[in-house]
This record gives sequence, C-alpha cells and structure tokens, in this order.
Amino acid sequence: MASPNTEEAFTSSDEWVRVSPKLVTARRIVLGISMLPIIAVVVVLFILPIPAFIPVIAALAGLVFFIWAWWLIGRRVRSYAYCERDDDLLVSSGILFRRLVIVPYGRMQLVDVTAGPIDRALGVTTVQLHTAAATTDASIPGLEPTIAADLRDRLAHRGETRSAGL
Amino acid sequence: MNDSPPPEPTSTIGDDLGLGLSAPGSALFDAHGHRKVHPISPLVHAVAVFPAMGGVAIAFSASGGAAVASRLSSLPGLEALSALSPILAAIAVIAVLAALFSLIVAAYQYVAWRALSFWFDDDGDFRMQSGVLFRQQRRVQLSRIQAVDVTQPLAARVFSMAVLVIEVAGQDDSRVRLKYLTLADAREIRREVLARAAGLAADTAEAPQDIVTKVPTGRLAFSLLLRLSTAGLLLLTAVIILASYLTEGWAGIGFALVTGGVPLIVVISEYIRFHGFTVAQSPDGLRLHYGLLRTESRTVPPGRVQAIEYVEPLLWRRFGWTRVLVTIAGVGADSSGGNQRQQGNTVLIPVAGIDQAHDLVARVLPDLDTSSLTWVAAPKRTWKRSPIQWRNLAVGWDEAAFATRRGRVTKRLAALPHARTQSVRWTQGPWERALRLATLHIDTTPGPVAVSGLHLDGDQVLEIAYHQADAVREGRSRDRSIHWGQQ
Repeated sequence: MASPNTEEAFTSSDEWVRVSPKLVTARRIVLGISMLPIIAVVVVLFILPIPAFIPVIAALAGLVFFIWAWWLIGRRVRSYAYCERDDDLLVSSGILFRRLVIVPYGRMQLVDVTAGPIDRALGVTTVQLHTAAATTDASIPGLEPTIAADLRDRLAHRGETRSAGL
Repeated sequence: MNDSPPPEPTSTIGDDLGLGLSAPGSALFDAHGHRKVHPISPLVHAVAVFPAMGGVAIAFSASGGAAVASRLSSLPGLEALSALSPILAAIAVIAVLAALFSLIVAAYQYVAWRALSFWFDDDGDFRMQSGVLFRQQRRVQLSRIQAVDVTQPLAARVFSMAVLVIEVAGQDDSRVRLKYLTLADAREIRREVLARAAGLAADTAEAPQDIVTKVPTGRLAFSLLLRLSTAGLLLLTAVIILASYLTEGWAGIGFALVTGGVPLIVVISEYIRFHGFTVAQSPDGLRLHYGLLRTESRTVPPGRVQAIEYVEPLLWRRFGWTRVLVTIAGVGADSSGGNQRQQGNTVLIPVAGIDQAHDLVARVLPDLDTSSLTWVAAPKRTWKRSPIQWRNLAVGWDEAAFATRRGRVTKRLAALPHARTQSVRWTQGPWERALRLATLHIDTTPGPVAVSGLHLDGDQVLEIAYHQADAVREGRSRDRSIHWGQQ
C-alpha cells in the first residue's frame, strides 16, 4: 500500500471486512441500561423541592447526551474493520480517536473469543488478540460466532506456523 | 584465562558487618539425598522481616494489643527506662513486640526449611520441593533457563548469606528463588546450573568474566545531583533558607524540609542502589553488579533484550553523559519483586559517556547502530500540538532497527531491532486529526522503554507503519540471537 491517503486506507480496499450491525443494537441496549441511573437522578431532582429549572436542565442535558451517544455508537461500529493480509492482521477502529493496529501472525500468543450477556443474546462476539506486549490493543467486537470461530482458527494456525520465539 | 570470581562490592560494609557471624558453609542433605538450604535460613528470614514486623507491632499496640503493650512496659528493665524517657520506652516496647513477631515468623520458616530441598534430577533439570501446607515441586528445564544470579539482600549479608535467583523463560516468565545459601555455596550452585544448562559436564569451571566498565562513585553521585528536578529543588531549598534567615521569618522552614528532603532521599536511595555499578562481559551475557547495602548481580542474556533507551537530562549533556534503560523480556512482569527492584533491574548503566553507552548497547543488541539511521522529523505544524519538544520529535530506521526521538529538557532516544516488534499501532486523536498529525507506537514487552513516534505527519506515519510491518517480517526471518543457548 504505497502512500495511502489517511482516509482511504480505512475504507478503500476490498479486503477490509466490516463487523456485524448487530453490534450497534447491542451497544445501544447497553447505553439504554446505563441511562437508568441518570433517569433515576433526574426523577429524584424533580421530586425535591428545588427550583424547577434545575431538573429541567438536567433532563435536557441527559436527553442531549443520550441522542449524541446513540448516533455515535452507529458511526463508531461502522468504523470497525479488519483485514487479513499474508503475514499480519490489520485492525482499525475509532472516530474521534482513530487507531490502526498491525499484528504480525508470528507474534500472536493468544486469541480469545468472548461475549458478554447482551452480546450473546444478539449473536455477536469479540475476538481479542494477545501478544507479548501489554499495549497491543487488537480486539474486534461484533463478529458473529461462526465467523469469529473461523477467524480464531485461522489466526491460531498462522500464528503457530510463523512463530519464532520471543 | 581469567578465573577470578565476580567483582566484590567495594563498600566497607563487609560480609561480616563486624559481628563475627560468618556462618560456615554447609552441604546438608536430607533423607532422599536432596540438598537443603542453610540451617540459619529461618533466622535470616526473621531478621529480614523485622522492619516490617516493626510496622505490624505499631499497628498492633495502637489498636487491639494496647493491653499487651502496657503489660510489657511494666517489665522491670523497661520501667526503669520509661522513668528516664517515655519515648525510648515506647520504642523498646515496639522493638520487643517486633522481635516476638519475628520469632513467630522464624518458627514458621523453620518448618518451611524442613520442607525445602533441591536437587538435579536424572535429566539434569533443576528441581525444588517446598511448601508446608501445600507441597509444591518445581521443575526448571535447563533449556528454559535465561539467567542465574546471586544477590545479597541486607539481612542475608549480615550473615554472609545470599539468594540464588534463576530466571526462567516461557509463557509466564518467572523467577525461582532459593533462600538462603552461603555466598560460596550460591556461586557454586550457580556455576553448576549454568554448566548443565550449556550442556557441559557438571563440574565445569565458571565462565570467565572481563570487566567492561565501572561507574566511578564520584560520577554517580554528581550525576544524581545534577538532574534538573533535583538541582532545582535543592536550589529552592537554599533560597527558602536564605529568605527565612534574612527576613527572620522561620515559619517557612517547614517547606525547606520538604523541598530539600525529597530530592535528597531520592538521590541517596538511588546512590545506594547503584553504588559500585560494574559491567562485565561473560559468555552468558552482560553481567551487572551493583549495590551498597543490598548487592545485586544481574545477567543480561543476549536474545532477551527487547529495546533500549538513551536518556539524556539537560544538565548531563555538558558532560556527555547518558543513562541507558533496557526492556528485558520477563523483567518488570515479576509479581514478587518490589517496585524499586524492578526499576533497578531495568537500568543497563546509570550514567556513562556516550561512547561507552553505545559500546554497551552494541554488546546486547549487536545490529543496533543509532548513528546510521534515516530520520524523519515532525513537520513544523507540530509545534501547535507539542510546543516544547516538537523540534526533537522524529522516527528513524535502517534495515536492522527502528528508533524514535522525543523530549526537549530530557532527551530520549528509544530503539529496538525489527524482530522485537510485537505490534505496530497508528493512533490519531482529534487534536492531531485537526493538524493532520498522527502517532506511531511500536509495541514491545512490558518495560521502561516506549518506542513511540509522537505527532508526526499523518500520511507519512501510516506509510512508515506498513513499512515497519514488512520490516518485522523480514527481521524475524533473519534474527538468530534468540537461540543463543542452543548452539
């Protein structure tokens, strides 16, 4: 990839695989659940004998945050992508804080497939790669279980055949 | 052929501390013919744990054990003492309590001593059996031994004892510690383990060492004082004292204690840690020997060094001095070592001239030559993101290694061979995005060295990232230093 433009590198090549849109639903459900304490606080503020504009402003702020987070989740999930090349794996993510991680197959020590309860209910899993470095941050959320299992097997196989010690 | 033993520490605190407690060497065997550590070990454990027990004693007498403490202070000797000075009496009570707790520890350690034994099994692997309640047998495969060292914590040094430390490679790098053996025994066992690990006969003589360099004491002390934060704080202390004297307002003197005391404590503790720093070359790798109270011996095996960093504080540049930090696979991930020990373990040399530093780095990472790299510097617009250090931000590479530069007051140059790259990370925060900049991180094993190219031109950095991924592939196929032990 000679001199790729920053924008194009993340979107142009056919080999980039996007993650499942079910992840959007999963994350939005989590957002909804995490809004519950905020709603509780706002309700309490309404009940308390304080000037009315305080709870109203709090409610409006909460609503604005919710709408922004809802929209952001959609955009962020669309930015997750991975690409299996011959000797390494590319993982890209992020809207505000963008990130591209290149992990050579020979460096992969562990490949995990995990799923929380909501992810499991919606049928998405997260594939997480571990190298000897603690700072390697290569995880691909939102993959369907069969795709994730295949990817994990392929990565593990390539990791073994290419591994060359530390 | 140089047969002399590793260089002795040059401090005047000798192995005996004048107490005449040099314990005779012992080769004790138990019923199975396995070897035991020295019988004095429980006592050494008790002494080692005594300061911590002092803290426990204070907590004990402050809370639940106040009754016990007061009863102790009514003992005849202590009553007389408390008549003289209540503070001394209180300290004496604490000391007695701490001694009692230490004795309890010693009793437990005696039982542990009876359960501890070690031997070489039929395959030649090192085995260690331990554990009072939960019996545990460890097997250290010879092929996985990275380094064997002999260290002397202060308590052990009082009794002329030492600790044998075997560093083991693997998925979870770990250390096997054998406490306590006489210094001579520890060296003897180290020699045998290394001989067996190299596939030689068990009674092969110890590998010769050539001393490469020794950090002069004066230079160490001066360099520690010469760091900007230290020098600045000491200057501030002087100013405060002067101002207090001139204005006769002594209220601010408390500040002087803090601003003067903190840097002094830091300087003194680092001085004690790195005193007599000696670097020697042996076939096992580079051997480092340092310490004033607690002496440590570390081996830096070739093939385990992941990355190095040259650190040049502002005030050192006049003298051309630099400090070399090193990330060694498996070090810094040791959960049983204290933080201080980890820090000490990651310094290749605390202060050295630049040429000397380059020479040392060449001994552990032969292909790394930081003078022949192609450098790519940060563009001018980086000053908006990083106004202080932007002039020094750059990444560089050649066919063998990758390096990054950063810092203005304290300049840092971090480098690693391509083969040691674990992963390559390109990141871009919103501020960087607005300026079309990005940061490149080369991930390596946990340690003090971070190879990061900060705030460079975004597109260039992406290209360099892909380029580095290719270099990693080629570097790995050419790398031969990993198999140093398997010749």
